[in-house]
Amino acid sequence: MTKTTIPVHLDVNGHRHTLQLEPRVTLLDALRDRLGLTGTKKGCDHGQCGACTVHVDGERVLACLTLAAQAEGRTVTTIEGLAREGELHPVQAAFLEQDAFQCGYCTPGQIMSAVACIREGHAGSDEEIREYMAGNLCRCGAYPHIVAAVRQAALEVQS
Amino acid sequence: MTVHNMRHGDASDGGADAVGGRLSRVDGPAKITGSAKYAVEQQLEGLAYAVLVESTIASGKVRSIDTAEAEAAPGVLKVLTPDTIISLRTASDWFGTPPPDKPYCPLARDITFSGQHVAAVVAETFEQAVAAAALVKVSYDETPSIVDLSDAKAGDGIPIDAMTKKWGDAQAAFASAPVRICAAYNTPREYQAPMEPHGLIAQWEGDKLTVWEPSQWLDGMARTYAEWFGVPFENVRLVSPYIGGGFGSKALALSHGAVAASAAKMLGRPVRLVMTRPQTFTGYGGRAATRQTVTIGADRQGKIQSIVHRGINETSMDGMWVEPLGSVTSIMYATPNFSSKQNVVRVNSVVPGAMRAPGENPSAFGIESAIDELAYEVGIDPLEIRLRNYAEQDPHARKAWSTRQLREAFAAGSERFGWERRTPQPRSMRDGNQLIGWGVAAGTYPVRRAYGEAIVRILADGSVEVESSSIDMGQGTYTILAQTAAETVGVPADNVVVKLGDSRFPRAGVAGGSRLAGVMTGAVYKAATSALDQLVGLAISDPRSPFHALQANTLVVANGRISSPRGDGPDLSIAELLGSVGRDHIEATGDTMPANSTAQDRYKNYTTIAMALPHTEGDYSRHSWCAHFIEVRVDEDFGTVRVSRVVSALDSGRLYNPKLAESQWKGGIIMGIGQALLEEGIVDRRHGRIVNNNLADYLVPTNADIPDIEVISVGIPDLHSSVLGGKGVGELAIVGVAPAIANAVFHATGKRVRDLPITLEKLI
Repeated sequence: MTKTTIPVHLDVNGHRHTLQLEPRVTLLDALRDRLGLTGTKKGCDHGQCGACTVHVDGERVLACLTLAAQAEGRTVTTIEGLAREGELHPVQAAFLEQDAFQCGYCTPGQIMSAVACIREGHAGSDEEIREYMAGNLCRCGAYPHIVAAVRQAALEVQS
Repeated sequence: MTVHNMRHGDASDGGADAVGGRLSRVDGPAKITGSAKYAVEQQLEGLAYAVLVESTIASGKVRSIDTAEAEAAPGVLKVLTPDTIISLRTASDWFGTPPPDKPYCPLARDITFSGQHVAAVVAETFEQAVAAAALVKVSYDETPSIVDLSDAKAGDGIPIDAMTKKWGDAQAAFASAPVRICAAYNTPREYQAPMEPHGLIAQWEGDKLTVWEPSQWLDGMARTYAEWFGVPFENVRLVSPYIGGGFGSKALALSHGAVAASAAKMLGRPVRLVMTRPQTFTGYGGRAATRQTVTIGADRQGKIQSIVHRGINETSMDGMWVEPLGSVTSIMYATPNFSSKQNVVRVNSVVPGAMRAPGENPSAFGIESAIDELAYEVGIDPLEIRLRNYAEQDPHARKAWSTRQLREAFAAGSERFGWERRTPQPRSMRDGNQLIGWGVAAGTYPVRRAYGEAIVRILADGSVEVESSSIDMGQGTYTILAQTAAETVGVPADNVVVKLGDSRFPRAGVAGGSRLAGVMTGAVYKAATSALDQLVGLAISDPRSPFHALQANTLVVANGRISSPRGDGPDLSIAELLGSVGRDHIEATGDTMPANSTAQDRYKNYTTIAMALPHTEGDYSRHSWCAHFIEVRVDEDFGTVRVSRVVSALDSGRLYNPKLAESQWKGGIIMGIGQALLEEGIVDRRHGRIVNNNLADYLVPTNADIPDIEVISVGIPDLHSSVLGGKGVGELAIVGVAPAIANAVFHATGKRVRDLPITLEKLI
């Protein structure tokens, strides 16, 4: 296995970082362990649970299946970068109001997925929301409230 | 925790701050912004990373471990094996039973299950540790294993006499009953699968150990670490500010924790060890696989005359887990004759553990399926037969129920569901090629009680601080304790900061068995009452107080302000009063332990479960109750089952926060849907491995599997169960979901599935 490291430039939540990383470091571990951005969660490390969902160039990706080096020159948004000037994003506010989480561990991934789900135009009905949010597991079982929160936020975002 | 200034809920929440109000989670803002730091997310200087190596055989001995290549790999600091790890002492169990005086090694030489920890690699980075762990070469002398309960070598197991329950003559009454049914019900291995994997950071400073670890029981885990390492209990600090789900699996210190803390001690550096997702299927136990037979003898009107119940559950080769399978069987229905016995069977598995409603959950699958079978046998509506056999008192303990709103649950649930429109014949309701089935089942969970401590401080700025070593894994402890303190002292909930998840705080005992809310609201209520008394006492008696001249007997504190109940005299904020009498804070400890308790009693109460009060203590039998009404749609051609509608009515007594309790109930129902239709640990019969040890193959419900769920609270305050009238919430709602779905599937298809999960091959 390689001992060499490479410079990786990450643009995360509007801040530029230069890291010296082994090429095998995932975006998830770079965010959590190198940049201290622990809002993005590691649930399975195999792209099965969705807890690590972040946006790369505005699209939802699984940070555990993305090498940090693949994010070179692209824009990464994590849960920490969603609120603007202390104002919660409508999806965040809706999650709080609808009690769309319990333990909170899947929540950042759910919220990042929900923001993208609405942006993709996949929040048109409860059925569609359930389908397009199905990649984010929640073992506490907040699903009905997640659907309610996405529905509410979609209306606010679109209005 | 962080203090946030954000709105809690909407305007319709009126009165949300008080106990019973629909206050939004006070820890919510931290969780939705990503600022909530979970245990293993602490950033520490000099952190090293450990990765476990596991056995690939289920039975045998480790012949040798070749670590040379791993040790030479870049960044590796240490490779731990049974030969090189420091020696620990065996710790006591959760009852506090004194342990045998022998060493404990968390890395195994003798293998009793596949996935057992045999070595660990510690490196400078996580990636280096992962890569080096793959270079550790373990060779074994393999011996034949017993892979599961269906293994021919498994045998009948060990009788557990404590599980035997008997009254009347059940066999004779069954033999002479005009209607007799007898069936076997099986549940597979199931896994808690919390979204946050188990893990920890361990750091030593001299002989003081700090462990950041997701924990349902800080004090119990601190005790285990202290005993392992032979240091005083006070030297171990557990920190667990947020827990990413537990469902029973995070209550005990486990062998991976011993490995990490040993590595930290050996290296003199903080060490982080987080299980991989596959390791979470063997690093600790899920729900044991179970087998039950239920026989019911009844008259032609469906009145039960006898129940005979036999159960077995699997346990490990060297540990003992009893999943009490007769727990619901013995109390749900009135019967003059009853017999229940249970064995446990040793197999080559990790020792099974607690998973949401251990005992009650599989027990209810047996009896609540069996009574449905009886209903069809005698031609009586499944709801009606439950009412005909309603237990007016605890049939086993022969005591009055403290409260039992089960009849009310049946009434409210069936009305909302529209049960009266159900046609009784199987396969009689359909929508195109979908067969529709409606099923009902009841559930119950005992009220477990213990004692707790809390500190409540009223600070100079008028805010209130609560401290407790209890935890919040999503049940809402932060929120309901804020509400309890806010209402009791008389301040807005926004002015209360609740600090949990640190074993240096006043102690709480285990967050398990749905007991924590009742224990801790009681302790905080007591502490807050005492703090309020001190505050009012100061205001009345301190010569510097503006109220002193009033010569009042008492004062009113509301919304953070103090005034006379008559409305005369001054009206001050708490901060102004404290300022006037020169106090920077008031502090009170609330402790619900009996007054004559010794220090030893307290230690035992908080670090073991030996002091928990039986639910049948005194004159009453205390339980939560529920009734589930569930609609399924079964594709006639493919046998796929979808749950399309759920209405559940639940009696958890008084709800401290209905918004959060409803969430927890729905979560239990959803886990029950997974249990009914999806969840099953599958064993490779050649190697005794769990082959679906990941979240893509061990199927838990996804958003697309879950319909709208309606929950109705039918509880009334139960002051025999807790200080503020609540019963249990967290475990109750999963109990009865799987049989309600199985009963609905029978109604839809005419096929009785007695072997969970109900997968399509069992229907076509």
